[in-house]
Amino acid sequence: MIVPNVLAPNVMGGVVGSFYLSEHTAEGDVHVIRIGGYVDFDVAPQLKKRVVQRIEAGEQSLVIDLSDAGFIDSTAIGVLVGALKRLRESGGALAVVCDNDNVRGIFEVVGLESVIPLHRTREDALAALPAPVA
Amino acid sequence: MTPCPVMVRCRVQASASELHRVRRCVDDAAAAFGFGSTERYEFVFAVNEAVTNAIRHGQPFSDGTIGVWIEADEDTLICSVSDGGQFEAGAEDRDAWAEGGRGLAAMAQVMDEIELCTSSNGTTIRLHKRRSEATEPDD
Repeated sequence: MIVPNVLAPNVMGGVVGSFYLSEHTAEGDVHVIRIGGYVDFDVAPQLKKRVVQRIEAGEQSLVIDLSDAGFIDSTAIGVLVGALKRLRESGGALAVVCDNDNVRGIFEVVGLESVIPLHRTREDALAALPAPVA
Repeated sequence: MTPCPVMVRCRVQASASELHRVRRCVDDAAAAFGFGSTERYEFVFAVNEAVTNAIRHGQPFSDGTIGVWIEADEDTLICSVSDGGQFEAGAEDRDAWAEGGRGLAAMAQVMDEIELCTSSNGTTIRLHKRRSEATEPDD
């Protein structure tokens, strides 16, 4: 039968059940949402709620930092697609930070590596965003 | 004919909160089978997508569960995910801006073969992935 949920490292590069989400404002007043752990169908609603809140609060651009994410599924990537779509409609942009080759590979597998801009570092992501409109 | 060794046979509650347990279990089986780290990751990703689809779009069996069965067949690891629903094939959304509808195509990208079996008892998707000869199993 299935093994108990113990917090131990495995191939996914993180620990089981360690999802977290935090927010802060980076240079240029860009809002950064940092996500860690496993980003799947279970936690996608939390991610979507937080992203929608920020967009409705008037954020023009967002950085989603997946530096601590060991796994992402197509459901969570769909949330990012929806966010990018909404931001672009209002002249904004979304940049994703991801240096984990396994996670980057999932974006390719779902066919979105050319739709969602991925950056190895947060600095690169911030630099890729358009200057805020005054 | 030698029966395939069954590595995992379990029922899990059809709940998103069970996904992390499934991934852990599948990852352990993939490691025991001798997949390298990339193959393990892809195998776990595909099974996660299949179980997610069963939870989102399928119907649990009468006890509220879905089935996850992993077996080894020579150099191929096969995971069967079963639910009590009747899968109806529909065109996956090819709109680049669609938020969903990519799961099946994504599974096909990382697996060698996918079988979809439907009967009056439910739906089973069988995911096949061969072990690369060049693979150096992880410890």
